[in-house]
Amino acid sequence: MRVDLTDSLSRLLPEEAFGHSVPSSLWTALRTDVETVVAPGSAEEVATILKWASEMGVRVVPIGTGAHTYPRYPRDPFIVLTTSRLNEIQHYEPADLTMTASAGASIRDLSTEMATHGQWLPFDPPDVPNRTLGGLVATGLSGPLWAGYGQLRNHVLGATIVCGDGRALRLGGKVVKNVAGFDILKVMVGSRGELAVITSVTVRLFPLPVVDRLLVLEATDVSELVSTARAVATAPIMPASIILSATSDGGRLLVRLHGARVSVEADQKSLEKHTGVSFEVRNTPEAESLLVQERGSGIDTELVVRVWALPSRIGVLLDLLKQVPGVSLNADVYGGSVRAYLPVNLSDIESSLAGLQKDIEELGGTIRVLRIPAEVDASSYFAKPLVDEGELAAGLKRAFDPHAVLWGIE
Amino acid sequence: MYRLLEKTDEEPVASLLTGKVSSGMTRPLPSTVVSDLAKIVGHEHVITDPDRLLVYESDGLTAYRRPPRAVVLPSSTEEISAVVGLLHSNGIEVIPRGAGTGLSGGALTTPEGVIVGTARMNRILKIDVENRIAIAQPGVINARLTEATNPYGLYYAPDPSSQSTCTLGGNVAENSGGPHCLKYGVTARYITGLTVVLAGGQIVEIGGVGRDPYATLDLVGLFVGSEGCFGIATEIELRLLPITEGVRTLLGIFESVESAGRAVTKIIACGLMPAAVEIVDGPTIKAVEASVFAAGYPLEAGAALVIEFDGTEAGLDLDADRAEQCCLEEGAIEVQRATDPEHRVKLWRARKKAFGAMGRIAPDLLVQDATVPRTKLPEVLAGIDDIGNRYGLKIANVFHAGDGNLHPNILFDRQNQNELELVERASKEIMQLCVDAGGTITGEHGVGVDKRKYMTLVHGPAELEAMAAAKRVFDPASLFNPGKVLPEVEVKGATDTAKILATGE
Amino acid sequence: MTGAPVYEALGQALDAQQERLLPCVHCGFCLPACPTYNRLGNEADSPRGRLHLMQAVVEGRLEPSSEAFRTHIDRCLGCRACEPVCPSGVEYGTLLELARETAAKAAPQGLPTRVLLKVLGNRALRSPFFFIGRLLRGTRLAALGATVLPSYGPLRAGRLVLAMLASTTRWQPMASGDAISGNTDSGSDDVSRRSRVAVLLGCVQEGLFTRINSATVRVLEANGYEVVLVEGQDCCGALHAHGGDLERARMLARTNIRVFEASGAEFIAVNAAGCGAAMKDYGTLLEGDPDFVQRAEEVALAVRDVSEILASSGPRIGASIPCKIAYDHPCHLLHAQGVEHAPITVLEAVPDAEVHIVTDAEECCGGAGIYGITHPELGGLIGGDKVAAVRACLADAVATPNPGCMMQIGAGLRLEASNEGVIHPVELLDESYQRAGFYRVRGAE
Repeated sequence: MRVDLTDSLSRLLPEEAFGHSVPSSLWTALRTDVETVVAPGSAEEVATILKWASEMGVRVVPIGTGAHTYPRYPRDPFIVLTTSRLNEIQHYEPADLTMTASAGASIRDLSTEMATHGQWLPFDPPDVPNRTLGGLVATGLSGPLWAGYGQLRNHVLGATIVCGDGRALRLGGKVVKNVAGFDILKVMVGSRGELAVITSVTVRLFPLPVVDRLLVLEATDVSELVSTARAVATAPIMPASIILSATSDGGRLLVRLHGARVSVEADQKSLEKHTGVSFEVRNTPEAESLLVQERGSGIDTELVVRVWALPSRIGVLLDLLKQVPGVSLNADVYGGSVRAYLPVNLSDIESSLAGLQKDIEELGGTIRVLRIPAEVDASSYFAKPLVDEGELAAGLKRAFDPHAVLWGIE
Repeated sequence: MYRLLEKTDEEPVASLLTGKVSSGMTRPLPSTVVSDLAKIVGHEHVITDPDRLLVYESDGLTAYRRPPRAVVLPSSTEEISAVVGLLHSNGIEVIPRGAGTGLSGGALTTPEGVIVGTARMNRILKIDVENRIAIAQPGVINARLTEATNPYGLYYAPDPSSQSTCTLGGNVAENSGGPHCLKYGVTARYITGLTVVLAGGQIVEIGGVGRDPYATLDLVGLFVGSEGCFGIATEIELRLLPITEGVRTLLGIFESVESAGRAVTKIIACGLMPAAVEIVDGPTIKAVEASVFAAGYPLEAGAALVIEFDGTEAGLDLDADRAEQCCLEEGAIEVQRATDPEHRVKLWRARKKAFGAMGRIAPDLLVQDATVPRTKLPEVLAGIDDIGNRYGLKIANVFHAGDGNLHPNILFDRQNQNELELVERASKEIMQLCVDAGGTITGEHGVGVDKRKYMTLVHGPAELEAMAAAKRVFDPASLFNPGKVLPEVEVKGATDTAKILATGE
Repeated sequence: MTGAPVYEALGQALDAQQERLLPCVHCGFCLPACPTYNRLGNEADSPRGRLHLMQAVVEGRLEPSSEAFRTHIDRCLGCRACEPVCPSGVEYGTLLELARETAAKAAPQGLPTRVLLKVLGNRALRSPFFFIGRLLRGTRLAALGATVLPSYGPLRAGRLVLAMLASTTRWQPMASGDAISGNTDSGSDDVSRRSRVAVLLGCVQEGLFTRINSATVRVLEANGYEVVLVEGQDCCGALHAHGGDLERARMLARTNIRVFEASGAEFIAVNAAGCGAAMKDYGTLLEGDPDFVQRAEEVALAVRDVSEILASSGPRIGASIPCKIAYDHPCHLLHAQGVEHAPITVLEAVPDAEVHIVTDAEECCGGAGIYGITHPELGGLIGGDKVAAVRACLADAVATPNPGCMMQIGAGLRLEASNEGVIHPVELLDESYQRAGFYRVRGAE
């Protein structure tokens, strides 16, 4: 849809806010040829944009890097708001293990800074190699390390946001324990920008582990791998993460152990005793490249779905999914989710997905499409906005974005 | 437009602190409502006798007293739904109550309110060992869940000091913490799904392991910590953890609380991840040692630091050695280490018994709760000390040092009217001090009725309005626990709140 | 306000206890320890709730004659399980007694309570009362009645009383120890001579459990203690204090203090947990009596549960009795006296006796004096849970060192036609000593 901004919006913002570019895949996903991007340089400018949009009846699609695109596009006029200019570290107190940074700061840059103090933010969701802090929080994804560190939402201590109608709010704080009022911050984590634009975030950091050991088990029999993985997930020790990747030809189980050398060694022994298998040990940098490869393996895949079920049902779901020809799977065995990277040469994507959905639901799981080729219009499977799921979510949407200006993508 | 904070035209809450006691008769419920309630839960579970209602006039914060119009004790989700539906259709406010152990007056009724208690909803409905979750009714006592799951090698991590008596429903409402949440996190981290009764009696299920958490907003996260203002959780799905293999407990004795505080910073900064780090200050040590709970701490000590590590047995001694080194470097007089359960209990004794011991040495005790960034502990403690000296009040500190969660306890005598005034003023100064240091007004006890007056120290009108809007989504008519959390509009007198209201218009 | 003068007199009793009430900070730690709260879920039936009602009486906000005050104070089992868990050390037991007195003076108690307290506190009435009891027991009429009376309706209480009575019979597998009488020689040449010990005979013990008193004397002697018989002793007054008749309790206490301090005994051995708890509290009971308070405190300091005396010197090991014993803690031993292991040590002095602690042994059996009769519903509920826990042990007998608990659990087992015996730990040790030949009747050789 066509929006001519140059006129009214350019008068409200400095020049620096214009002329920025975003990945071209975003435009494809959003089905538009009018590439309107605005990059505010402050929370006040974000508010200006949102107030303007409310008045003009224009939708705003907030993005971080814009790399991860949920295929749901607005049919009304819209602009893209990138946080790329909001990228500084506002406050870092290593002794408190807390950091406040602007939403557009890249996790990679922040991590470099944290590492100089022996600290890190242990969340590494797959597919997008360099998320922004705001993007990470907006998607709410923790990645497989949540097995050992808990979910991202529990480590976001505070944020500043601008609601759909331009109201700026300061949520939470800088301290780990805080129950002063209703926890609105929690709904912002994972809200995909549907309620507000996140402008800065305070996160709790962790000390880098002394030893980061990767245990590897490869096998052609995926079922066998799954049962080992489940045994690891129910062992008396808690690994940092358990990732299982598989294709129809076989798979690989990666178990990460964090801690002091002696305890990591003891944990490995106890896991091997518990599962009855012996793992190969990979050390950095080999381990690192393996993990990077694992995380990024599906980045270019155009058809991605995520399946959720009780963790104990993961094996059954993998058995089903691995039958899809050419599929590549990545499972969080502890949490109960699988990302399936599907080949686009599927003869009929729509009916294949419909079949898959039916089978998965019969097994007690749910399926959600994360990415789909632009030419497919399979809206029934993936066009569900977050906030239509029940009155409560819709009520919150109305409370924070009363004019329905914001259009969240994943 | 700032319109959220509906004025309740009530008299000021009667207070033990001010020596006033609520004497006015509570308006009885219409007899038809009573008989309809009795039809739902059975007449023996509807309490309307004003004499009996006296025991429900306070929770763990006895400074506020007001008896409810009735107490209803349902036993199932369906009963709660029917009770809430009935009360709300009669425009009657619902005050949820668990074990009544809260320290912020969260279960104090409004003048028109009916308490809905969860005492009879005390069954653990499911323990799913394979998926490490349990489903419990809200009246289940926190520690009972751990007892019930221990045989499977699992436990429930959040351990508020009142865990032997507080209920999981109350923990959900307050987002409770505890000593070990330094490593393991607070209640919100462990609540995976809820069945909730909303205004009008509507039953909704939110969250749940096995359901795509990214398919909608994190309603569970928002509900946890909503202090009974959004609805009543009637079934709670919780994440369990495997029991850790080993534990090491250290007790460091320091000359001053500042040096103990510096040791804490050092321990965390060197990359250690203790399960708990607690400080007991000098005045508290003296109180404990003078009481029946004497733990054998040296009386001249300025502070005692309890540090606990848990996890894989093999790494624990190494962690303990490093922590001990940190303590000694910061001038610890001595460091003891426990490996067996009995010795561990002994090292923890002064920490665990501190409140009871203080209850024995002073007629009255105000337990405060605030959080500051850990690095600010030494300066904030010095500031609290200074406030105590200026007001001539004895303040003893017992707190979760690892996450900067302070509990300054103000000792006083309620018979002394002048002292009451001072306690009130000192409390406010302490809150301001903590907020100025980058902290907040409550870390784990909640806002309830007691801390509403401090909410404006940390939140502006826009934030408060946003919170009120969130409440309206769940409870449009404001019939769930009204008058809690959000500050009240003050009509009379130019208070801080009124000023903020003016700017919020 | 009804009867203002009466009220004032009553208010004073509790009012004087402000210092004891104030430490209650309303934290609620006592709630899950309370058997009545656990089952009813009403906070008025919790220790905190009852303390709050007491406080309301003191503050003049609640009439001591009110139905709420009387009902909830009366419904307390008095098990004192709330005391060990109280972080502020509230003396709940003492406050309860005062509250009961306040309530009883404000409005008369039920007839069974009044009659029983009158009878037990008076030797002349007690003796025929227990004689009839023994007659019903000996003729097996008690056992018969417990079988034929209905478990509902007005005769239900009678059924329970008869079952309790029938359950006081000796556990069959034990030899007839009553036959041992007269002077015994404990064969204690190899036992070092120990201190002088007096034994409280008690009212119910003397009336229905003389065999336990005899066993107590023999076992103490066999362990080298010199047992002195104290004439003129009376009921300890525990039931009166619990029932709110503090005046009679004080009268009985003074009698006992006089005779026991004259006995010159170093310790006073008590084999009933309820009596021991009451005597250890004599100082508090008589704190308003300047002539007696000092003496009361001294006597209280000499009081020991018999198991404490035996455990402190390490009881002699007797002969083998292969059996499985379920042990249940009497509340007035565990919670009121803080004695947990000593009775188990006594049982463990019997080779081949396998001791199992009953699940939730720290919870009240519901006996609580005549609770089962005055509160059949709730008492039955609490008692039922205890009987189920005992039966789950699959033991030969249940041991518990308090007559009230023995009768309550015994009646429960009997009414469920379960075969476990009910014993006092000292009885088993006594039997073991007898089998070991520690008791040779003098002159028999």
